[in-house]
Amino acid sequence: MKSYLKSLALTGTVILLGAGIYLYSGVYPMGADTPHNSATYWLLETLRERSVVRAAEELVVPADIKSAERLLAGGADYNDMCASCHLKPGVTENDFSLGLYPSPPNLTLSDSDEIQTQAADVEATNAAIKRQFWIIKHGIKASGMPAWGANHDDPRIWNMVAFLQRLPELSAVQYQILTARNKASKGHGH
Amino acid sequence: MNIKTITATLALTTLAFTLSAQAHSPSEHMQDAEAPNCAAMETMDHSKMKMDDPMMQAMMKQCMQAMHEGDHDDSETPDEPEKHEKDGDTNNFKHKHK
Ligand code: HEC
Repeated sequence: MKSYLKSLALTGTVILLGAGIYLYSGVYPMGADTPHNSATYWLLETLRERSVVRAAEELVVPADIKSAERLLAGGADYNDMCASCHLKPGVTENDFSLGLYPSPPNLTLSDSDEIQTQAADVEATNAAIKRQFWIIKHGIKASGMPAWGANHDDPRIWNMVAFLQRLPELSAVQYQILTARNKASKGHGH
Repeated sequence: MNIKTITATLALTTLAFTLSAQAHSPSEHMQDAEAPNCAAMETMDHSKMKMDDPMMQAMMKQCMQAMHEGDHDDSETPDEPEKHEKDGDTNNFKHKHK
């Protein structure tokens, strides 16, 4: 028993030492143009998804998430703040989508999240909507995804989530009409 | 300069600075506002338009506003030729779908 514990402690020390040497040696490729190996990728993705699911659990999706008002408000914001990374109909790549790692998912594609594939399941749709809200509000560490909650209140974020639900089905023309910022829509007095 | 003036100046510049860095309201994006291309709605397949779809309603709303705005706010609309075309077309459009 004693020798077992001893070898366990030794193994632990060697691993720590090795990790320390690796860390300080500078061998790790930090560049965004060197993808993670599949093990690291799986680890990070699982960490992210488990964390977001847990954190978003308690959120309540607004009843009017499908309203035209939310679509309009969210569309204009999406075009201003998100399309540069997450693209828009008719644009399949740009500097950010190509250069960022992890790369920003193309949110105009229906398979970029679980919503469409599991559309039959209301529960899953709800979970996917909450997940999007949480990610937009809090961002994702060590990725290009900023936390928008610092500067934008919850209703504004729900509006963008509402818009995201319809984005994959929009043509370039529909997208342009929905996202154009109408001066008149901001209640300049009549 | 007395201390009051200095304090006031400092307070004001600080305030101005803070305000400039604060949460940007949607209206701040107005400079690069683009008019919705409502003329294009004419070319869409009308048989596929569903009026009870919030997306359709949103587009209609957007174009009604653009039209209304064109009535009295000509100076700020970026591309004039398109606007004229739009004014005419969206009027028709409205009648058709009423
Ligand atoms: C600077 C680039 C950038 C901008 C701007 C940006 N994002 Fe992201 N976003 C990312 C990246 C990168 C990821 C992926 C992070 C990851 O894989 O861990 C991401 C992930 C997401 C996801 C999760 C997608 C999924 O299904 O996995 C959503 C939703 C999202 N962003 C919405 C938005 C919205 C809404 C905005 C605008 C308010 C926005 N993003 C602006 C870079 C950006």
